[in-house]
Amino acid sequence: MGAVVIDNVRKVYRRDAEEILVLDGLSLDVPDGEFVALMGPSGSGKTTLLNLIAGIDRPTSGRVVVGGVEVSALSEGALAAWRSRNVGFIFQFYNLIPVLTAVENVELPLLLTALSRRERRERAMTALRVVGLADRSKHYPRQLSGGQEQRVAIARAIVADPAVLVADEPTGDLDARSAEEILNLIQALNADFGKTIVMVTHDPRASARAHVERHLEKGVLNRSVVRHEVPAVHS
Amino acid sequence: MKFLPYILKHLRRNWVRTLSTVLGMALCVFLIAVLQTVLVAMDASVRGASPDRLATRHAVSLVFNMPYAYRSRISAVPGVRRVSPTNFFGGLPGSGGSADFANFFANFAVEADTYFAMYPEYNLPRDQWDAFRADRRGAVIGRALSRKFGWNLGDTFQLESFIPPYRVGRPFEFVVRAIYDADLVRYPATNEMQMFFHFDYLYESTRRRAGVGTFMVQIDDPARTAEIARLIDEAFENSDVQTKTETEGAFIQSFNELAGNLVLLLNAIGLAVGFTVLLVTANTMSMAVRERRTEIAVLKTLGFSSARVMGLIIGEAMVIAAAAGALGIGLANGLVSNLADIPFLGAAVSQFPSLNVSPRLALGMFAVSLALGTAAGAVPAWTAYRAKIVDTLRAA
Repeated sequence: MGAVVIDNVRKVYRRDAEEILVLDGLSLDVPDGEFVALMGPSGSGKTTLLNLIAGIDRPTSGRVVVGGVEVSALSEGALAAWRSRNVGFIFQFYNLIPVLTAVENVELPLLLTALSRRERRERAMTALRVVGLADRSKHYPRQLSGGQEQRVAIARAIVADPAVLVADEPTGDLDARSAEEILNLIQALNADFGKTIVMVTHDPRASARAHVERHLEKGVLNRSVVRHEVPAVHS
Repeated sequence: MKFLPYILKHLRRNWVRTLSTVLGMALCVFLIAVLQTVLVAMDASVRGASPDRLATRHAVSLVFNMPYAYRSRISAVPGVRRVSPTNFFGGLPGSGGSADFANFFANFAVEADTYFAMYPEYNLPRDQWDAFRADRRGAVIGRALSRKFGWNLGDTFQLESFIPPYRVGRPFEFVVRAIYDADLVRYPATNEMQMFFHFDYLYESTRRRAGVGTFMVQIDDPARTAEIARLIDEAFENSDVQTKTETEGAFIQSFNELAGNLVLLLNAIGLAVGFTVLLVTANTMSMAVRERRTEIAVLKTLGFSSARVMGLIIGEAMVIAAAAGALGIGLANGLVSNLADIPFLGAAVSQFPSLNVSPRLALGMFAVSLALGTAAGAVPAWTAYRAKIVDTLRAA
C-alpha cells in the first residue's frame, strides 16, 4: 500500500440548495517517497484533493488512507492529533504567525508534544538549519523576504518529522529566484529525507521537479506524466 | 503553561487594545470591590449589634425627639433591665459659622452610668471613668479619634451641633477625661472614632428642651425581644409621641438606610457596570479573534484541536481578566486604605471601623473578574471552536 491511497472519493460542496461536485469518484495511489505534482485548471479540485490528503477536509464518500490510517474515518480530535504527527502543510501565502519569531513559528507544532522547552527549541533550530535560515531564527515574519518566509513555513511543516508533506502552490507568491530556491528545498526534502510530497501547482517549472505529474479536470484524474523514476531507496 | 508565552505574545500584538480592555475591566473590579467593601462594613456594623439591646425612637422619624419622661415608663416595662437616653449630637469641630464638616466624627450625649453598663465594647480605665463621671463637661473619646486630633487627657475642645435644637448660640466645650479602647477581638465592628459626653450637659444647656433622640434599652432575655419591643410601643400608643422600638441591629440598619436602600443601589450599580464591561470585553475579544481567523485555521491545520484553540482564546481572556482583577483589587485596596485621610469622605466612612478590602472579598472579586473574562471570551472561543479550516482558509 502507498503512502497515500485515495479510493473512489467523491466530494460535493453545498451552497444553499445547490450541490457542486468537486471530486467525482477519484482514486489515486502515491507510493512512499514519491513526489507528485497535481496540476489542472482552477476549479478542477486540486486543492480539495490536497485538503483531503492533509486531513483538513472530509470526503462526501470514499476512503482517504494516509500512512496506513484511514483519515476519513477519524473523529475531529483524533484527526487533529494525527495531523500534528503525520502531515506537514505548506501554504501558498506561508501563513506564519506574525507575533512569533521564525524559531517560535517553527516550534509551534511541537507545543503539542511532550518535548521539553529545550528539546523543542533544539528541534526547531535543526529544522531552520535544514532550510538554511538558522541565522534568522530571531527574526519576525515581517523582517523576512517572501522566500525566507516560505522557508520558515517549510521548516514548520517538517519539524515534527511527518512522512507526508502537502504543498498548495508553494511558489505561487514568489519571484522566480525565490521559487527556484523553494523548489530546490522541496526536492531535497524528498530526495534526502524521503518525504512523500504532494504538491499542487500551476507552474510547469515546479511540476517538472516532481516524479509524477497528475492532471485533474472537473474532479477527475485524466492524465499522468512520469517525469523521473522514484529512487529505489524510497520505494 | 507552555502556551502562556504564545498567549502573551498575542496580547502584546495590539497592546493599546489589550491595555484599554484591562483598564476597563480593572475599573469595573475596582468599583464593585469598593462598593462591596462599603456593604460588608455596613453589614458588619449591623451584625456587631447586641441581641439584648433595643432602641426606642420616635415612630415618625429619627429626626424627632421624644420626651425625657418616657425614660421611667420604659424602665417599668417587664423584662427591661436598663434604659439610657442617647442623643446623636451632630457636633462639628470649629464654631462661629466655620463648622468643619471635613473632620466630622460621631458624637453622642449619653447617660454615662447606664450607657457604658450596657456597652462592654468600650474599655475605660477606672480612674479615667471616675474623672469623666465627676466632670459635667467631661468627654470620652475613642483611641482612633484621640490619634487623629492629637487629643489627650485634660485637653479641651469645642463642638457646635448642626442640629437646630442643640444650637445654643455658642459651641459646647468639652474636656477629654477618658480614652476608650475597643475590644476588637470580641467586638470587631466597634468604632474607635466616636465621642461621648454627659446627657445632662446637653439637657441643661438646652434648658431641658432637647428631648431624647433614642432610648437604648437593655433587656434581660434576648428571646423576648419582639414581645418587649411591642410592650414598649404599646405603652405610648395613645400618646402624642408614639414610639418605634426595634433591635439595635435593625436600628443601625434603618440609620444606614437614611440615605436610601444603599444595598440595592450599590448592588445595582455593580451589576450594571459588570454587565457593561462584559459586553465591551466580549466585543473586543470577538474583534481580536475575527482578525486572526486565518491564524486559527493554521493552528488547526498544524494539529491544534478545536478544543485547544478554544482554550487558547479563553486563556487570553483569562490573562486579561487576571491582570484586570489584580489591578482593580489593588486600586480598591489603595483607595479604601486611604479613605480616612480624604476630606469629607473620610468623615463619612469613619462610622465603619472595619472598612477594608478583606482577603475574602479580594478573592471573591478576583473570581468575579475571571468569571467576567471567561464569559467575555466564551463567544469568540466558541466561534473559533466551530471554525472549519477549509472554509476559513478559503475566505482569507
